[in-house]
Amino acid sequence: MTPGHVNSGTGGAAEKPRLLVRRLSKRYGNVQALAEVDFELRPGEVMALLGENGAGKSTLVKVLSGLVQPDTGTIEIDGAAVTLYPSARSQTAGVAVVHQEYSSVPTLSVAENLVLGQAGVPSLWLPGRLRARARDLLSAVGLDHIDPGTLVERLSVAEMQLLEIARLLVRDARILIFDEPTAALADREIERVLAVIKRLAAEGRSVIYVTHRLPEVFRIADRVTVFRNGRSLPARPTSELNVDAVITMMLGRELQTMFPKRGTLGAQALLQVEALKAPGLVEPVSFVIRPGEIVGLTGQLGSGASAVVEALAGMVSPVSGRVLLDDKELSLRSRAATLKRGIAYCSADRKRDGTFAVRSIRENLSSPWVRSVARRGWISARGERERSGDIASRFAIDVKRLATAVGALSGGNQQKVAVGKWLGAEPRVMLLEEPTRGVDVGARAEIYQHLRDLCAAGLGIVVASSDTAEVLGLSDTIATFYRGRLTAIRPHAEWTVDALVREVMHQEAA
Amino acid sequence: MSAELSVAPARHRPDWLLPALTLGPAVAGIIIAAIITPTFLNPDNILSILRNASLIGIVAVAMTPLTLSGNFVSLGISQSAMAAMVAFVALLGEGWNQLATILVVLFGLVAIGMLQGVVVAAGMNPVITTLAAGAIIFGVVSEATEGRIVSVRDYPATWGGGDVIGIPIVILVFVVFTALLTLMMSRTVTGRETILVGANRATAEISGISLARVTIVAFAIFSIGLAIAGILEGAAFGEATAKSFPNLTINAIAALLVGGTAIGGGQGSPLRSAAGALLISVISNMMVLNDFSPGGRLAIQGAVVAAAVVLLDLFRRRGVRR
Repeated sequence: MTPGHVNSGTGGAAEKPRLLVRRLSKRYGNVQALAEVDFELRPGEVMALLGENGAGKSTLVKVLSGLVQPDTGTIEIDGAAVTLYPSARSQTAGVAVVHQEYSSVPTLSVAENLVLGQAGVPSLWLPGRLRARARDLLSAVGLDHIDPGTLVERLSVAEMQLLEIARLLVRDARILIFDEPTAALADREIERVLAVIKRLAAEGRSVIYVTHRLPEVFRIADRVTVFRNGRSLPARPTSELNVDAVITMMLGRELQTMFPKRGTLGAQALLQVEALKAPGLVEPVSFVIRPGEIVGLTGQLGSGASAVVEALAGMVSPVSGRVLLDDKELSLRSRAATLKRGIAYCSADRKRDGTFAVRSIRENLSSPWVRSVARRGWISARGERERSGDIASRFAIDVKRLATAVGALSGGNQQKVAVGKWLGAEPRVMLLEEPTRGVDVGARAEIYQHLRDLCAAGLGIVVASSDTAEVLGLSDTIATFYRGRLTAIRPHAEWTVDALVREVMHQEAA
Repeated sequence: MSAELSVAPARHRPDWLLPALTLGPAVAGIIIAAIITPTFLNPDNILSILRNASLIGIVAVAMTPLTLSGNFVSLGISQSAMAAMVAFVALLGEGWNQLATILVVLFGLVAIGMLQGVVVAAGMNPVITTLAAGAIIFGVVSEATEGRIVSVRDYPATWGGGDVIGIPIVILVFVVFTALLTLMMSRTVTGRETILVGANRATAEISGISLARVTIVAFAIFSIGLAIAGILEGAAFGEATAKSFPNLTINAIAALLVGGTAIGGGQGSPLRSAAGALLISVISNMMVLNDFSPGGRLAIQGAVVAAAVVLLDLFRRRGVRR
């Protein structure tokens, strides 16, 4: 093991890689998640792994942590070929992952959590022994001030994150993977986590750091590997790069043809949002949507873009402000109230709340409007069949398969069902969060086209997305959000990719 | 029987297999029983199986919407049915009019059920709520009857054991009730919403379906079934105690699960629960005729439920990705 910090600028050809991934591929159904990617990690190095949503970062993390078996390709650790699937093998090989979700047990003490799932722990949990064991680990991650007897539920988010890291250290992992560890943290807490990661690398451990926050990359990473559409670009030393160069690498330039042509916008306002304040927003937000318009809201996780959409959908009650639909006040009291006025809503998490996986496509398509094809409570089988058939043909869903369970469809087709079902409810405004997350490129273009077709029919659409390319290519008007505030709103023509990404990063990029 | 089962609401491939899987063993069971037990096909014995299946079936069918809506099962079945039976018998004993008694018991049970529905809709766990309600009901009835047998005394009401055009009333009620609820779940908005809430609560909420309404309605329907079971038993025997319906909870849950309704909700139908009740009755009758001990019968019934649930779960997993 090489103690001390690895020199990042030299290209380091002499260094033998800790981890070497060659021509790794993984396909899920129709989606090529990874296409012959290469990845290299040296001892004591912090490697940032960057890319847009769906670029393949998380698939690589899953392969390395043994959750997913790759289709082809080889993986070497310290020169020896290894198999990392299933996850027990990955752990023995010295790979450890810090997830965004914490796996600590909140109702147990810090010391107890540190022995959970660890080999070589005496089966009798004597408090004294556990505490002694815990102290060393805690000081290694800068948690010296925490008493090992504290219940985990009492810790702050950052402390839990650090505890999570301490749990990995027990296993003496050589390769540490951090999957957006700072996404939910405040500035000061981020400092602590980054400092610990730097120290771990200085001890000779290798770190893969997955993030969307570019400024962190320049503070902590020695090199950068960018993934784009399931392919890897060669790793570059951070010292040779700047934010703009990284953004260009991430976005590429091949996305231009994906987006349909924009149409003409109506003259009057369809939906007026006036000084709306809701949970997740620090300042009131105002904007207007015209018929035929797509308004893109973008920002990092927790920026407030999703908070606006959720409030407009009636999922959370706003704190203050008002919203007018067709010049009449729209009550945001409940989802049922907004739905009645024609507000359709697709959340970011399709698996959680976008579809009924065990039910048929037809029942999914009719779920928001089945009441309208019923007489005195009895569903008209013909009415349901005709209208769902109509939606299916407009959204290119195979009409012959309408009796199939939605859970058996590909991600892209599930998303078409999740979006298409609202058509039958005669919506006026459609709200979508991350409309193409986990959707392959072909289905993406198709979904964009469908959204444009809806605009042509006079709908207004709000898209909240963290995919800057998508927001820029699809929207008529773009609003950026940062830490609960709307920071800028301008017509699409006045935005460039760089300006948009800078605005989303806001002062962080300065 | 298998032709009837195609009425089940969704007809994608795994659903077609589920009834076959539960009915296959049922048919096999009947054949084996008929071979090894000479008295099995005796008309009296068949009638006794059907009567037994009807009582369990009415309750299992009535509970199906509750399970379909994602509220699992009630653990207070015996106690509620018992309360209905005791109330029915006691009110008749007081000289009440039959129709008035039936209506009072029906509304009383529905009120108790809807109250539980309100508690569950407010966020309490349905299993715990029904368990607690069952304990309360049992306690109250035990106190009120002081452990004695309640009887109709001078107002004999034995129509519950009677028949119409040769078919026992309890079987008739079972068939009609099953048909009504099956239609309701597959053809009405309320039925559809119930199933969707069970299939995915979060999606249902975004689709504007009221979870509270679905839950309360499911509890109300369930209570109607409990009231019917209690009234029919009361009208058949003319007397009741707080210990009536000792095995109804486990039998009704077993029937529902063997029928193939998913315990987590979203898949299944009342018709399937009816078939499950039939299967449970056949098996238990077969064991009685072959002199199985009560303990042995219970153990085998448990094994059948476990086997059915595992089998159905395996098939479901094949049908849906991830």
